[in-house]
Amino acid sequence: MDGTVVIKGSKSGIILVLSPDASYETLKEDIAAKFKASAAFFGEAQKAISFKGHKLSDEQKMEIINVIQQNCQLSIPCIIEEDPVTEEAFREALEKNLSGNNSSSTGQFYKGNLRSGQVLDVETSIVIIGDIKPGAKVISKGNVIILGSLQGNVYAGAAGNTNAFVVALDMHPVQIRIADAIARSPDSPVKKGKGRGKKQKNTVRETKIAFLENGNIYIEPLDRDVISDIRL
Amino acid sequence: MGEVIVITSGKGGVGKTTSTANIGTGLAMMGKKVALIDTDIGLRNLDVVMGLENRIVYNLVDVVENNCRIKQALIKDKRYPNLYLLPSAQTKDKTAVTPGQMKKLTGELRNEFDYILLDCPAGIEQGFKNAIAGADRALVVTTPEVSAVRDADRIIGLLEANEITQTHLIVNRLRADMVKEGNMMSSDDVVEILAIDLIGIVPDDEHIVISTNNGEPLVGSDCQAGQAYMNISKRILGEDVPYLDLEVTKTFFQRFASIFKK
Repeated sequence: MDGTVVIKGSKSGIILVLSPDASYETLKEDIAAKFKASAAFFGEAQKAISFKGHKLSDEQKMEIINVIQQNCQLSIPCIIEEDPVTEEAFREALEKNLSGNNSSSTGQFYKGNLRSGQVLDVETSIVIIGDIKPGAKVISKGNVIILGSLQGNVYAGAAGNTNAFVVALDMHPVQIRIADAIARSPDSPVKKGKGRGKKQKNTVRETKIAFLENGNIYIEPLDRDVISDIRL
Repeated sequence: MGEVIVITSGKGGVGKTTSTANIGTGLAMMGKKVALIDTDIGLRNLDVVMGLENRIVYNLVDVVENNCRIKQALIKDKRYPNLYLLPSAQTKDKTAVTPGQMKKLTGELRNEFDYILLDCPAGIEQGFKNAIAGADRALVVTTPEVSAVRDADRIIGLLEANEITQTHLIVNRLRADMVKEGNMMSSDDVVEILAIDLIGIVPDDEHIVISTNNGEPLVGSDCQAGQAYMNISKRILGEDVPYLDLEVTKTFFQRFASIFKK
């Protein structure tokens, strides 16, 4: 098995140099052995991977990735095809993959009202000082906090973060999406609100939170119990 | 094979969207499979008038850009299961779609639906060109005002230039009392100026405002506008329906006005 498989590691990626002469089956066995031996060295990490030397089909690449993941703690979210720009591509690919995880703990501010047709699309969590009007949309990979009235569309956890939540001082959204779930406003109360208009405005504004639980979106008053359940 | 009908006017605010919502619902009430397409990209509101805004996930631009399949973007109406709405995008503008793409889209919907109604934006620019691209026939909406009639005349000319010859006229927001006093053009006057066949007269009716605000088309209801829209839907299906007697409106409005005069 000597020399058939060489692992070249870098900070964010692995280049697997395979002998062009060895058969696919031997390579697979050798890769399994190599990674098992260096499992402790790699530890638990995310790495992009690139293959060199040996021509592999897509199925074979997937199979090799499976073999690697079975034999050590590495997780491999992507394969990089182009060799010359490998390192740069590794870094970018991983940054993309990781930003989804950091998005709920970092944030930014936006001041102003979002009106119909305007879209605010951010990578992090966002605090909006202003109103979201019907027809406007906020998309965030993290959480969305609105210091104002929410009457439009919000998409929190856009990269799939199911812990994402939406808080608004006045919660009357048209639609809320969190990760893969969608909730829409009820048909009847919204109509009544529109019809009466002024009467609705006089009713008490209550700060509410929308969160995801068991695939359903719930909207509840933001009280101490709910706050203690928030996970970032 | 379905029929594609564009509802257009040239001038804004004469009731294209309200007419589209009500005629479409009327056709659906009579058992036809109907798709409404909002082609007013960037200023969508057919979904609001239909009360379906909260159901929008994908829109017209997503469909032509192949971000989703047509079936995913079609919203089923909450009252009639054979009525569907393809909403427009709010964040793009008219240039996001080309006439060729609209032709292809309506061509595909033809196989599924009996009627496809296109709500056209005001104006004669790209949005108008997109809306009429795939249409077989047109309904031109106008109010009995000189400016609206002038714009309608321009639109009829443009429709003819684009080989849409089957064009019918809807006179909207007619006030029989004002016509009688000689302060408003009658529907006959409008037809004479525009020289196309009339398909309906819709009286000015406060119920329309209420219905639009509630997101529920009023076609088929007891009020005059509701009946007028039902009659238009029937005429589209080829039925011969007599025109409403708007004299009733006159006395109603007079009575209404006299209450306030005291």
